[in-house]
Amino acid sequence: MPKVYLDSVSTTPVNPEILKTYEKLSADHYYNSDSLYDDGVTVYRLQEKARENIAELLKVKKDDLIFTSGASEANSLAIKGLALANPDRRHIISSIYEHSSVYNALEQLRRTAGYEITYLYPNAKGVIDPDKVKEALRDDTLLVSIMHVNNEIGSVNDIDTIKKVVKANSRAYFHTDTTQSLGKIAIDLKEVDLASFSAHKIHGLKGSGLLYKRQHIKIEPLISGGQQEYGLRGGTSNAPANIVLAKTIRLALAAQKSNYEHIGKLYDHCLSKLNDLTGITINSPAAGIKTIINFSTSIPSEVLLNALNLKGIMISSRSTCGSRINEPSRVLTSMGIADDRAVRISFDGDNRLEEIDYFIDALKEILQKYGRN
Amino acid sequence: MDGIKYDYIVCRYGELVLKGKNRKDFINRLYDNTRKALSAFPTLAYERNHDGIFIHLNEEDYCLVIDRLKDVFGYAHFSGAIRAARDLEDIKSQALSLAKRSIKKTFKVIAKRNDKSFPYSSDTINRETAKEILTNTDLKVDVHDPALKIYITVKNDRAYIMDDKVKGLGGYPVGINHKALVMMSGGIDSPVAAYLSMKRGLKVECIHFASMPYTSKQALDKVLKLARLVSYYQNDIIVHVVPFTDLQLAIYQHVDESYAITIMRRMMYRIADRLAKERRINVITNGESLGQVASQTPESLNVIGSVCDTLILRPLCMMDKTEIIDLSRKIGTYETSILPFEDCCTIFEPKAPITKPKADKCQYYEQRFDYEHLIEECLKHIESVKIVYDQNQDDEELF
Repeated sequence: MPKVYLDSVSTTPVNPEILKTYEKLSADHYYNSDSLYDDGVTVYRLQEKARENIAELLKVKKDDLIFTSGASEANSLAIKGLALANPDRRHIISSIYEHSSVYNALEQLRRTAGYEITYLYPNAKGVIDPDKVKEALRDDTLLVSIMHVNNEIGSVNDIDTIKKVVKANSRAYFHTDTTQSLGKIAIDLKEVDLASFSAHKIHGLKGSGLLYKRQHIKIEPLISGGQQEYGLRGGTSNAPANIVLAKTIRLALAAQKSNYEHIGKLYDHCLSKLNDLTGITINSPAAGIKTIINFSTSIPSEVLLNALNLKGIMISSRSTCGSRINEPSRVLTSMGIADDRAVRISFDGDNRLEEIDYFIDALKEILQKYGRN
Repeated sequence: MDGIKYDYIVCRYGELVLKGKNRKDFINRLYDNTRKALSAFPTLAYERNHDGIFIHLNEEDYCLVIDRLKDVFGYAHFSGAIRAARDLEDIKSQALSLAKRSIKKTFKVIAKRNDKSFPYSSDTINRETAKEILTNTDLKVDVHDPALKIYITVKNDRAYIMDDKVKGLGGYPVGINHKALVMMSGGIDSPVAAYLSMKRGLKVECIHFASMPYTSKQALDKVLKLARLVSYYQNDIIVHVVPFTDLQLAIYQHVDESYAITIMRRMMYRIADRLAKERRINVITNGESLGQVASQTPESLNVIGSVCDTLILRPLCMMDKTEIIDLSRKIGTYETSILPFEDCCTIFEPKAPITKPKADKCQYYEQRFDYEHLIEECLKHIESVKIVYDQNQDDEELF
């Protein structure tokens, strides 16, 4: 039975070249990057070189980058770290369809520290209207956090306009979660104050990520510890992972254009085939990112997932981080979509057209057998 | 008892002692089961006797061996034993060393001669040994309610000395009553039914009705895990997985919702019945308990069971749910049973299942579709898996 992986939005396989580099780094450069003997200093130097390279790739300053365990930690550090350092401003604006690592950090602030959170709802095209952001801004707004690309339906927010609106109309900081856009579409960090990045969505390592934070912005660490990461994240540096992140981002950005073109072909092909089937509703907006198609069928998503799984096809019914929680999806319900029949497929540079055909054939067969009209 | 290095474990037969002419079969079966259960201890040596199985520990850890033996059906109790020469002086000194390590205050010596040519009577052995212990320890004799009982057995080539008994699991050796087919759903009840079937000497095979894709692969994995857990009591187990979806869909298409569960259960019994006959299994058992759900009222059980002429035993029928849960905790299946995966009974839960179904109504609904053909298809596509308890899980090398 073939295995067809159409869930790259959940995670991606590690690029063998990155794995090889990581193995070499782990074996040869296991020293503590804060040790003062030569071999420790070498690790430190390599890690700082990686930081420098990443800064260059993202067109930011080296000291704006903090290595984290992934985008969830980066989101948590951006939001809660900023709140801890600025206790006098207790209003935050975000969207209702952020990743759980943003949403639950905000809810924690609301529950435990009395923060007021304004959650904006996406419009019919699945995006957050910059005018709505403008309306919500207040004197005491500390932060506006809006994700770049939504991970369940694939809508792309106009963060360039939103950041300008925030800057022109308030003194609030602007944060964006770029987990689903890095390596797929352009990210312009100019005038962005904080941004979160993940390695494992671009064929890097799990447990590796990055917070971009403009150096002058004060935040408090969530993990108290030593001098690592400017004192903002304690714990011995995960140096081999941090070092290899530079190569991960470099390879992803180098292949971005050709990969995204290929993904576009998969997307167009799949979308036209899906449109040929009866009883399918496409939930993703037309102008969304081409890595994600969210659609609904006539059978419960869990049943469809099981049936596809039996044919070796791997897809998700919602954000994978919420897959074991029996609550309706915030993202889909915010768009008025019944989430119990919606599923998400996602494409990556590795996927082939034949895999899409195999998927479509399987879907057809399953709908015929179990679909009820 | 702490600090004593035992040479043997004496395993006493349970209820099977009552059985006259089949005794030899019982002993042989128990002997085989015991050896399989103790396969992790290759240096053990075994002796079959008329009153028990004698295990030579040969340096194996007494506690570990006893721990495994405690879960083998067919034994009343076990005793650790130390070896002595067939010589009164040696018997006395070994019994004394055993008594010296005891923290108890009162004792009694109970001697038995299997070899009547031994020059001292049981009574003499008792008195001589007791005298030795009385003069060399602080223990006092109490013939009515001793805290420590010291058993001495004299055989024609050796003697051995045992202290307190460890209780066995009881029941019959698994397999002595041939086989049972357990309808295994993945809930709390059916693993307990499997365990109780084994207890009465039935070697269990499982039949599971899978409704993929309405149920997930994890739901099936859960059933296989439950089967593996109960297989501990019989060393290995065969699970027959029936692809049930098409038949189930046909039921929901042709049968009124209120009768759907009743008809579904009738189909399950029909399939189990055929499989049992095919595999020469004489008993079908399951976790049905009187009154627990609509399909388990007396009327339902009657109408459902009537499609099957293989003997149906329902070991949980007269038990309370709390008793069943207690047992499932005891046998270690509860935590797995309550994992939240859909099973074939919960997936199409009708709003108002009938509690007093009528046989003629069942027949009326069943005439509406060609279920015979669908049953044939189910039987044709059964996948059977053998699970051996001790087999390592595949990903163990990662950790």
